[in-house]
Amino acid sequence: MRLSTRPVSVSTLSAGFIVLVGLLVAAMGGLMWIELENASESIRKKEEESGRQEISQALKAMSQKATAISDRLAQWDETRQQLMFDEYYALWRDMRVKDARIVPNSVDSVALYDKAGRILRAQIGPETMPPRLPGQAPALVYARERDHDHLYSFFPVFADPGASVPLGYGAIKFDFIGELLAVQQFRYADISTLTAATRDGEMVPLDKLRARLTFATKYNQDVATLHRIFRHAYGRQILVTFLVLVAAAWLIHRILVRPLRLISEDIDALQTAGGSLLSSERVMGPVPIRELHNVRGSFNDYQSRLAELHTNLEKSNRDFYDQARRDALSGAFNRRAFEEDWQDVANSEQCRGCNLILFDCDHFKAINDTYGHPVGDAVIAGIAECLRQALRSNDKLYRIGGDEFATLLRDTHLHAAEAIAERCLEHVLAHDFQQHGVAEPVTISIGLAHAACKQDLTELQKRADLAMYTAKRPGNRKIVVYDESIGQVSALVANREVSVVFQAIQQPELLEFRYQPIMRLPAERKEYVEALARIRFEEELIGPAAIFPIVQARRLDVEFDLAVITAIRRDLDLNLPALANGVAINISAPGLINSKVIDALEVLKAAYPERKIVVEITETDLITQMGSAVRHIQRLREAGCLVALDDFGSGYSSLRYLAAMPVDLVKFDISLVHQLQHAGPRQRMVVEDIARMVLNAGYELVAEGIETPELLSQVTRMGFSHAQGFYFDQPQEDQQPRIALAS
Amino acid sequence: MARLIALFLGLGLFALAVAAPVTLRLPNGLQARAYFESGEPGKPAVLIMHGFLQTYEFPTIHRLAENLADEGFTVLAPNLSLDVPLRRQSLACEAIHTHTLEKDVEEIDAWLNWLGRRHKGPAVLIGHSVGSMILLGYGESHPKTRVRKLIGVSLVEGRLKPDESARKPLLDEMLRRIAQGDQKPVIRQFSYCQNMTATPASHASYLGWSPERVLRAVRKSPIPTVFIMGSLDDRLGENWIDQLKNTQATVHVVKGANHFMDGEHEFDLLELILKELKGL
Repeated sequence: MRLSTRPVSVSTLSAGFIVLVGLLVAAMGGLMWIELENASESIRKKEEESGRQEISQALKAMSQKATAISDRLAQWDETRQQLMFDEYYALWRDMRVKDARIVPNSVDSVALYDKAGRILRAQIGPETMPPRLPGQAPALVYARERDHDHLYSFFPVFADPGASVPLGYGAIKFDFIGELLAVQQFRYADISTLTAATRDGEMVPLDKLRARLTFATKYNQDVATLHRIFRHAYGRQILVTFLVLVAAAWLIHRILVRPLRLISEDIDALQTAGGSLLSSERVMGPVPIRELHNVRGSFNDYQSRLAELHTNLEKSNRDFYDQARRDALSGAFNRRAFEEDWQDVANSEQCRGCNLILFDCDHFKAINDTYGHPVGDAVIAGIAECLRQALRSNDKLYRIGGDEFATLLRDTHLHAAEAIAERCLEHVLAHDFQQHGVAEPVTISIGLAHAACKQDLTELQKRADLAMYTAKRPGNRKIVVYDESIGQVSALVANREVSVVFQAIQQPELLEFRYQPIMRLPAERKEYVEALARIRFEEELIGPAAIFPIVQARRLDVEFDLAVITAIRRDLDLNLPALANGVAINISAPGLINSKVIDALEVLKAAYPERKIVVEITETDLITQMGSAVRHIQRLREAGCLVALDDFGSGYSSLRYLAAMPVDLVKFDISLVHQLQHAGPRQRMVVEDIARMVLNAGYELVAEGIETPELLSQVTRMGFSHAQGFYFDQPQEDQQPRIALAS
Repeated sequence: MARLIALFLGLGLFALAVAAPVTLRLPNGLQARAYFESGEPGKPAVLIMHGFLQTYEFPTIHRLAENLADEGFTVLAPNLSLDVPLRRQSLACEAIHTHTLEKDVEEIDAWLNWLGRRHKGPAVLIGHSVGSMILLGYGESHPKTRVRKLIGVSLVEGRLKPDESARKPLLDEMLRRIAQGDQKPVIRQFSYCQNMTATPASHASYLGWSPERVLRAVRKSPIPTVFIMGSLDDRLGENWIDQLKNTQATVHVVKGANHFMDGEHEFDLLELILKELKGL
């Protein structure tokens, strides 16, 4: 037989158990009832047998009693007297016999018969005696007469004991039932129901009567009492059992079912709670059963451990989540986190002013190449720490590139964002990067773009990029907020412009140059020109503001330098008049340490040895391989080229490089030159002393940004050998000189 | 006395064991029973008559009979039939009495005749209580008897108690009933019976024996008469012993004895009787 494996609830089991116990108790009671009935039946049968024995004993006792009475009557002198002289027989029979107590008063009647068996006197009344002796005597005979049971005792009366011939006979008529009751106390036989199967008047010998007697047993009071007691006890037992079972059911429900169900529900809840743990209130109820208490305790421990594990797991998940979204070096969020958060911003229903601020470390590559990666990492970590300190507590800092950081300021007004950007810049500028061995000032360029509505979000990154690159340009504020003007530039930096730059590199013929004259002082004679690159594309001339961000962003410096050299060679080959005396070519920092670029310049010089070829080196602070740069400069000088240190005095070129690199010319940065006109006497004195110091060191000085005759006069008086600027050659279109930028 | 006690204890039990009743068919056809013990031929035969309605098994009679038998006397102690065949039991006062004193006397005579056939010597009559009175009746009606002595023990005077004066009306009533042919038993007082159920003839025969009638019979008794009376016999009338003493009869008074001469007075009685029997 296979049992069903479907589990049942503890409630069902408990209810089943209670019902089973109830049924068992009821069944036991029923069984006891049956046993009692069987015992009662057995008792009844035994009582019937006992009743029969009682009847037999009573008949025997009655027989003995009747015989004794008969004997006493037979041996009584007066009996013999009556048999001899029956003159007063009636008196004797009716009075004397009973008065003399020879026979008990219970005797119904007495009679005497003569020797022939005839009654001495006929008797009148209900208790008549047979007129003749019915048979042999002595004899005990039962007869039912007129619904009354009688016992007749017929006996002979002898004159003397031992005599053979009787004087006559006697007869005593007993009340059969009365005598039975007199001789026997009946406990079992109900004499009132005693009947004999005889005809009326039929005389049955007493010894043959027993077989004809029927009777009922007495109502056994003990059995009835036992029945009543058992019935009451059974009723009480059922009631008590019911109450006990109800109490047991309540107790089982209270101490077993409910705790088990709660534990089960708790465990089920764990499966369906979506991974969340149960509240402590739910699992901390009192459990009265030790095992359940242990289970509950184990469950609670398990729950606690699970909660702890859950907490740890959540923490681990958070850690993993953080680690997956954290930059290990800076501690800032990484680009992945930025992309996700950006996606959140993009998906958000509302945009109540979102600001994206991009931070880019100026000249980081040069720092990294110069001081090594550990120092570069320390600089990155330092910048990140400064930015975090400057940001608001809820603002998140992302490192989205090698030296590029970003933050998203939601629900923030543009002015507040600008203030935050200012604070960030101040923190970076205030940070002591010298502790890491970096001698140069570490600065950052900050581009901020604001989106007032959701439509602006799509352009926000691009705008922030443009703003940041704009800020990187020398002379600009380090914090640039995107506006429409930058937007116009940005249009040039669009995909089309990138393609054009790439085409220009591939096809240098697309490059055109604006040749700005470099004037010899004090004669103010044009000595050579500086080639400022443009790209002619579909009748449109693309200027340096659009070209160099692309070049720098795409790391196309060397390729672009080579393309420029090729294009200048083309112009030289074309023998353009502007190039009659020579040309100054701007070479990027990567280009200076690139052998191909140096080779190309050497070839160019070799092709036009009579012409002055000036290689202008800018971004000197970004030159990471100073030894290689110096060697290349030597090669260029040996090849006949002049080497100029461009933008001296700006952040990119300093005295340190002047001492390190063997250049021929030093070009004072426009900002330094303008100090001569606009700064105070002290600053002007410093500039003048620097210029004097450079001149004394044997260098020729070129002043950039000469826009007025006063400035020209001043630089001339100070001893500058060359000058350039709008004063000499006002640009007609996009006349801004090329400014080498690096990132 | 001690010898008599030893004799009583030693031989009395033996006599009880060997004594057997004898029966006699009386002239009226009834059979009667008697204690009989044959004694020495040289000693007189003794007929002992029991008291009113009693039998020879009455202790006073029975012990006396046995003691006398033990002394070698031929003893006959008959039961008056009282109209009961082979009567063995004392007859209750309430029984239907049809016997009369005259019938009793006839039965004594019959028994004396029976005794005479078995003992040729002289006979002595010993009566107790009313038995003594019946023996007086026998002596009165049989003056030529061979009886040599009559010993009356505790002879009653026959007085009706408490009022002797009621005797005559009662007797008259009985006689009237007899005269009227009314034989229906009536209940009246007689002797110690408060309710004696007897036929008028029966009543009348016994009522006829008044104290005077008794004294007269004593005085006229043809048989030498001896009375042995108990000094404490409460059934006797006042001066009854003295009245007896005033007759020719010899009167022995046993001091302290009651009507039945029981206890130690049995031996006094026996000693007196043996004394009276000596020399007969």
